[in-house]
Amino acid sequence: MVGPQYDLVGNPLGAVRATFERAAVAAAAESGGHEPVAAFRGKDWGAGEVFRSFLFEQGGLDKVPVLDESNLGLIKPNTLVRFRGMVQDMLGNEFYVGAFKDGSTWRTNKFSDSSPFSMPHPCDSHLWERHLFHCVPVPGQNSWTRESSPGPDVRRMSSCLTPEQREKRKRGADNDAMDVSENGNGEASSSKKPKDDDVQISNSSLEMSMNEEHVPEINGGDHHIPGSSFSCLVKVYDMAESQVKLNDVAEFIGVYTFDPELAAPSDNSDDIMFDLIEDVTAQLPPSKVPRLHCLVWRNLSAHDFLSRPPSVEPSPILLKGIRQSLLSHLTLVLGKDELAAQCLLLHLLSRLRNKVDVVTVGRLSLNFIGFNRESVSIFGNQLNNLIQRLLPYSQAIPLSIEYLNTATLQPRKDNHSGRLVTGVLQLPQGTHLTFDETLLQSGSLTSKGVENTMLLKNLMESQTVEYDFEFYKLEMATDVQLLTLSEGKSNILPSDLIVPFRPSSVPAVNANSEELESWRWYLATVKSLSQSTETETYQIIQDEMVSAMQDDRSLGCSELSRWLTMAQIMAASFGENSLNMNHWQMVKELERLRKERLQ
Amino acid sequence: MASRGGGNSPPPSVSSPDVRPSSPLPATNSSPPQSGRRAGGRRRRGSASPYPSSPSLGGFETPPPPGRCTPSGAGAASRQQRQNWTGRFPPTPSTPMSTDDVPLSSEAGDEDTPETDGAGAGADATPVFVWGTNISVQDVNAAILRFLRHFRDPRDAGRVDPVMDEGKYMRAIHRILELEGGESLDVDAHDVFDHDPDLYGKMVRYPLEVLAIFDIVLMDLVARIEPLFEKHIQTRIYNLKSSVCLRNLNPSDIEKMVSIKGMIIRCSSVIPELKEAVFRCLVCGFYSEPVMVDRGRVTEPHICQKEQCKATNSMTLVHNRCRFADKQIIKLQETPDEIPEGGTPHTVSVLMHDKLVDAGKPGDRVEITGIYRAMSIRVGPTQRTVKSIFKTYIDCLHIKKTDKSRLHVEDSMDIDNPNANKTTEDDFLRDKVEKLKELSKLPDIYDRLTRSLAPNIWELDDVKRGLLCQLFGGNPLRLPSGASFRGDINILLVGDPGTSKSQLLQYMHKLSPRGIYTSGRGSSAVGLTAYVTKDPETGETVLESGALVLSDKGVCCIDEFDKMSDNARSMLHEVMEQQTVSIAKAGIIASLNARTSVLACANPTESRYNPRLSVIDNIHLPPTLLSRFDLIYLILDKADEQTDRRLAKHIVSLHFENPNIEEIEVLDLPTLVAYISYARKHIQPLLSDEAAEELTRGYVEMRKRGNSPGSRKKVITATARQIESLIRLSEALARMRFSEVVEVRDVVEAFRLLEVAMQQSATDHATGTIDMDLIMTGISASERQRRDNLVAATRNLVMEKMQLGGPSVRMIELLEELRKQSSMEVHLHDLRSALSTLTTEGAVVIHGDSVKRV
Repeated sequence: MVGPQYDLVGNPLGAVRATFERAAVAAAAESGGHEPVAAFRGKDWGAGEVFRSFLFEQGGLDKVPVLDESNLGLIKPNTLVRFRGMVQDMLGNEFYVGAFKDGSTWRTNKFSDSSPFSMPHPCDSHLWERHLFHCVPVPGQNSWTRESSPGPDVRRMSSCLTPEQREKRKRGADNDAMDVSENGNGEASSSKKPKDDDVQISNSSLEMSMNEEHVPEINGGDHHIPGSSFSCLVKVYDMAESQVKLNDVAEFIGVYTFDPELAAPSDNSDDIMFDLIEDVTAQLPPSKVPRLHCLVWRNLSAHDFLSRPPSVEPSPILLKGIRQSLLSHLTLVLGKDELAAQCLLLHLLSRLRNKVDVVTVGRLSLNFIGFNRESVSIFGNQLNNLIQRLLPYSQAIPLSIEYLNTATLQPRKDNHSGRLVTGVLQLPQGTHLTFDETLLQSGSLTSKGVENTMLLKNLMESQTVEYDFEFYKLEMATDVQLLTLSEGKSNILPSDLIVPFRPSSVPAVNANSEELESWRWYLATVKSLSQSTETETYQIIQDEMVSAMQDDRSLGCSELSRWLTMAQIMAASFGENSLNMNHWQMVKELERLRKERLQ
Repeated sequence: MASRGGGNSPPPSVSSPDVRPSSPLPATNSSPPQSGRRAGGRRRRGSASPYPSSPSLGGFETPPPPGRCTPSGAGAASRQQRQNWTGRFPPTPSTPMSTDDVPLSSEAGDEDTPETDGAGAGADATPVFVWGTNISVQDVNAAILRFLRHFRDPRDAGRVDPVMDEGKYMRAIHRILELEGGESLDVDAHDVFDHDPDLYGKMVRYPLEVLAIFDIVLMDLVARIEPLFEKHIQTRIYNLKSSVCLRNLNPSDIEKMVSIKGMIIRCSSVIPELKEAVFRCLVCGFYSEPVMVDRGRVTEPHICQKEQCKATNSMTLVHNRCRFADKQIIKLQETPDEIPEGGTPHTVSVLMHDKLVDAGKPGDRVEITGIYRAMSIRVGPTQRTVKSIFKTYIDCLHIKKTDKSRLHVEDSMDIDNPNANKTTEDDFLRDKVEKLKELSKLPDIYDRLTRSLAPNIWELDDVKRGLLCQLFGGNPLRLPSGASFRGDINILLVGDPGTSKSQLLQYMHKLSPRGIYTSGRGSSAVGLTAYVTKDPETGETVLESGALVLSDKGVCCIDEFDKMSDNARSMLHEVMEQQTVSIAKAGIIASLNARTSVLACANPTESRYNPRLSVIDNIHLPPTLLSRFDLIYLILDKADEQTDRRLAKHIVSLHFENPNIEEIEVLDLPTLVAYISYARKHIQPLLSDEAAEELTRGYVEMRKRGNSPGSRKKVITATARQIESLIRLSEALARMRFSEVVEVRDVVEAFRLLEVAMQQSATDHATGTIDMDLIMTGISASERQRRDNLVAATRNLVMEKMQLGGPSVRMIELLEELRKQSSMEVHLHDLRSALSTLTTEGAVVIHGDSVKRV
């Protein structure tokens, strides 16, 4: 299929249906008219291919607007949009009439909530299924990821928006009533003529109704997810549900639909018994939670948030240079405490690599001790700012008695509504959390407080978070980097690495954006480096460990394991694929300096 | 009708084809309320027959969602047709149901007679097929009849009993008739399969049709045996050959019979559903004939039917004369073991009727056999467009509770619900249990279990064995006199830092039911709340929390036991022997159960274990508390290069991208947990006579060892506490083999375990012998003797050197004198204690540093 006959951004469903009808005819010819579309259940008949090649090979991706809170009311239904978010809840499957026979033609409802063609009644039809995911903007997502994500800037929007709309978008999010009405006009005067008249009609009618009720509600801000103002119900087709995991961050590209009918509350009174059969989506009114019928999706990694995807190979020399600049910056931020900066760098580069029973390998949680309230306000803030600008997702949590007693850390399934109520600890892989423990004073914890501390401790020790499903708890694996700032060693949040913080100057540095970008790239790249170390090195390290144990009998499994983790990260930080003894010695030196401080 | 096909709910205005007072079926009007749906089934059955007569209409494999959107005559008719079917099944796609316009009422009525006749089916010459299926009504009819009449349980084969002569289900039917109570016949699908695989296949594929026929055959049978029996008997199929995972239900399962397992998470309230309405005339008081309810709609008579009255609009509903049926919707959720990693549990709605209502409560694990249904999402009544989305639910046929909840939570609640499940055996667990039993028969199960416990920690095999015993536990015993003996085994691990004690504890915490892991530093034994404290000097924060109450019937793991406050520790005395905790609050003293095993680990006071000092001196724990531990293990870091190398290798292999650790055969964690829970729950071993004898013999021998000939001093090597420990240990060892009898070898192993532990902890380092006094009093016999000697020497010295009422002497001087005299090393504190003994004798008086003879 060369060159899209359809405007894939403006009228994706047209393309979907056209390909379907063509495929159906072909299949009918092949099978002799017997159940021609049955084979399409759970399969792609070529529509996905068309979109994939358009998006990724013909650079169509840039033309697709990103659906977010600000433009929710502005994007036309039944157009192609992108949504980046975290899978917050999996709402199970939905059965729908996937294909039906309209006269002699087979039609499909795939990628839409309702068909523009009225289904003849009765008719031959097939029931297919799709998966529902409730997605929210990634918790703790830092602003740079949004700026730098290759979003549709104003010029690129031209393909699906009218000049008036473009004007609106430039003005930003202050979409007042004027905007809305203009928007409606814009739609009417749209020069784009969708192939299908039916679609056109339903579009404009939907647009109108949306303008009337949709936008004000968004501004009203009745949110279902605490801490998040916006969410999206993504319907995913043709894949095993296991491909997507809870808390995955993904980009979904698909058809944005808006169907007020679905929102219409059923006022039928002899309906009591259906309350329980009522499916969850009823609580997500389309006016507040947009529907997205996903055509193409992909998991996002830290690399995908970089504004300029690296064109260079991560060579050790290049990485080494960036490492040096990042390290000196960290040193400055930490008041010229080089040891702390070294440890922080290793901490920032740590990730969970392996999990054996209760043992987690690769994590390196860090506890800076020697902070008080004043120094936290100086260094802590600087540090948080820096982390925010370096990592895609980060959160700073002020750990106080009150916070522990009141905050909802644990995600909990509300069996009444059938939804997963999110908690602070529902986090995507690779999130960075900073705890400020200087705020913690003596005081009693309520049972909730105890639960919360247990959750935090579990997270620290085994990188798992227990989700509460009322009748049982389910442990979800996480990979979260944890940094604690405290006065003395924190026993509530037992970290792997405890470093006394000794600043000698006040932090006064600012990084320019170019530097920041290179550091982001550095962190993302180094984290994803794979390591392969020769067996000989491991043999030497084993000997080293044995002799270290002979020297200091207090060394235990956890210390030695941490040393090795640090050595591996150290190697990676230089862009090396394999660990050598230099790195091991560097780590030993770090440890020596750290131990000196601890005494 | 709507009762069964919950999803059906048609527009209220439609007149009901089901309200057919003229129906020739005797059961229709006279059936008890709960049979309403079945009566529908029979009528539905009637309408099945027209299908073959109008095959041309079938062009559509799938009927549309309920026809309420097509007000045209044809649409209405088709809906009626379908509704007629829907007592049990609302219209759903992919069901073999016709949507043709058949004028029904009369035809259906006509057809009813020959078919309910039972024999009529056979007499019909042309085979009647249910449209769209390969079901021949007659064939199925005959097959079911054969099954009911002739199926014999192979398990009954051996018995020769005249009553057994009848088939299994004929007997069941007779029983129902005799009791007059049963409204349902439970049919084991395995039996159906054994008898007639073809029938089974049809039943699973076309449950609606086959079950309808099943009901008719059943009623027919009943009518022949007992013509006056009026209650309707429902067929409840259970125990399908295969069950579906909740998350794997997909469109192809719709309208099929499925069996799923899950946990009930929500139940709706019971919804009373009007089945028959009775009206009374307000004018003359005349009671109308019961009016059948059609899908939530009752047609109120406009005119009083009494000849003399004929008042219009005078009829009023009499609630207490109406008949209601129960209905309930429950939500079923996947159980944790079926959820793939990184997924959330799926749920499905299940519709329950009549007797099944309230058969399960939230939290129950159940296995449900039912028909998977889909119905189109409701659209506003004015909407013409049809929604393409369907909701799904399961029409429940049979509910069976599997386990209460988690396998290991000991729950004495009765899990048998006679209505829901007559088979007490738990299929869900049966194969699991079988596997566990197989495991238990392995000759090396003891070693295998030992290996499986914390496989990442080596050596320490005997410690692990002790921990295993703790997990399995002994039998608690309660004498009629009220005295009770605990079955829980308490273990203390003492050792050098960095010897993976904490890891062992963590592991145990994971394994044990209701395990609590706490750090002794700031654990208050009873507190139900927790407190954050901050060390004023270092700024370290510590969480204090109550732990023991929470771990009732579990293992309470206390790390850093030595750092526990004295106050909290004193609570442990009560916990470890009486197994209760007393809380005094607001003038009320509450005694809470704390039937917990305590697993504590302590670090030596001087950071490293000093082998020259006793356990008591190494960890500052009161001997009273120490003696309550059944096993005390010393885990010493022996500075062995071999061990170090192994540890280093292990750490390195953990970090290797592809760890190639030598795989030893171990049980995985869930199996281990299941194994332990099963043993704890089901195995209550008793001492065999030989074992008891061995126990006595061994104990006596242990006691004897203390006063070996040649040794003057009397050393206690065993006390009564030890014999209790030994019993508990041997019971636990028997449990590990799933053995109901404690054998001699268990006792021998228990002795060995105890001895290993004692050798480590209770060995008097001065003499090298085991001395229970070390644990009991903190002072070994040799030490005591040494002190006695010192006291005697001091007394002599005082007598010699000091005069009665003379000047006082400084202690240092006395010490020097003593050192001169005696060959043994004397410390000041030794002297002090000796002098204080003398003080109590009244020989001397101590004033600060000076001593005065009195």
